[in-house]
Amino acid sequence: MAVREIEPVVLDLDRLEQMAESGYYNPYTIFEWPDSMEPDKPWMSESLTTLAGTEMWDELTREQQLALTRYEAINFFSLNIHGIRELLSDVVMRIHEKTYAGVSEFLHHFIGEENEHMWFFAQFCLRYGGKLYPAQPTLKADSVAHLSPVARELVVFARILIFEEIVDYYNAHMATDQSLPHIAREINRVHHQDESRHVAFGRMVFTNLLEQVAERDPDEVPVLAEYLENYLQYSIATLYNPAAYRDAGIPDALKLRRRALSHPVRVEAHDQVLKRTRKFLSKAGVGREIVK
Amino acid sequence: MTEPMHEVREFILGRNPRLGQLPDELDLIDSRAINSLAFVEFIFLLEELTGEPIDPEEVDLDDFRTLNAIQARFFQQKAA
Repeated sequence: MAVREIEPVVLDLDRLEQMAESGYYNPYTIFEWPDSMEPDKPWMSESLTTLAGTEMWDELTREQQLALTRYEAINFFSLNIHGIRELLSDVVMRIHEKTYAGVSEFLHHFIGEENEHMWFFAQFCLRYGGKLYPAQPTLKADSVAHLSPVARELVVFARILIFEEIVDYYNAHMATDQSLPHIAREINRVHHQDESRHVAFGRMVFTNLLEQVAERDPDEVPVLAEYLENYLQYSIATLYNPAAYRDAGIPDALKLRRRALSHPVRVEAHDQVLKRTRKFLSKAGVGREIVK
Repeated sequence: MTEPMHEVREFILGRNPRLGQLPDELDLIDSRAINSLAFVEFIFLLEELTGEPIDPEEVDLDDFRTLNAIQARFFQQKAA
């Protein structure tokens, strides 16, 4: 594996490890799963749905609006599940490699917690939605082959970090949204709590690997910045699932998706979701402003 | 060129302004004109243009490799 060409990642993770240990809970017993959900409650905050703030939302019947919150909640949790599958396989292949020997203790917590998150997201989807949405189609070709080994390594952890930061924006909001059923709120709250540690860790790894990239070839940093900005846009677009629109009984799903994605109100909403991450990337020296 | 293929071309050029021109036999995958991040959008575009769902498990990477291959795989019957 290319990891051999990367310098060891050395980080001070004592505090994060202590927090993971002291905050440990049993995910299989912590939640009380009701047999069914209250019929008149949204499953996802209405303000976080992909049509929020647009005339497309106003044109829906109340029944369609509620259905959209349900199917977009299932889509959101499904995206979490597929994202976790991807990141777990990446991290499992790296733990106890020389590069990551110094952070393996935290990676054990990380892997364990992510597996547990995947379990409760799947429980929600299967109990109340009866399904998961399938993973987005992927191109079976390596789109980062043009990057150096250390930059490719950075991309692995950047994808994990970006995914976690975007999800956390939604979790943080829904953790306190009193309009949601209790179980939906709880899942978001518990996930938000664990993810704060994962995001902190992810930012540290990212910074370490970015320093290695810049030291070896500063010209590669703008190339990475372009990839990361594209990845931010890609991640936002995955929230707009035409299958969720169809399930909610909304016609012309693909056309609606295209309209919604480029709607000025939605573009503004995307900027809000990505604000924290873009600020971090800019501060690290790899923001979109340096793309050539 | 058929109307749907014009839209396909516009999509690719819109995302790759540096390409300038787009020969029918350019390898879109190797040149990264279509990469993994653009792929989902590209599938949705093809679904909209053909009016039929595309099962990603059923398609081959080579179906997307060139404009000619895309035409043959997705628009041949409609164009005929």
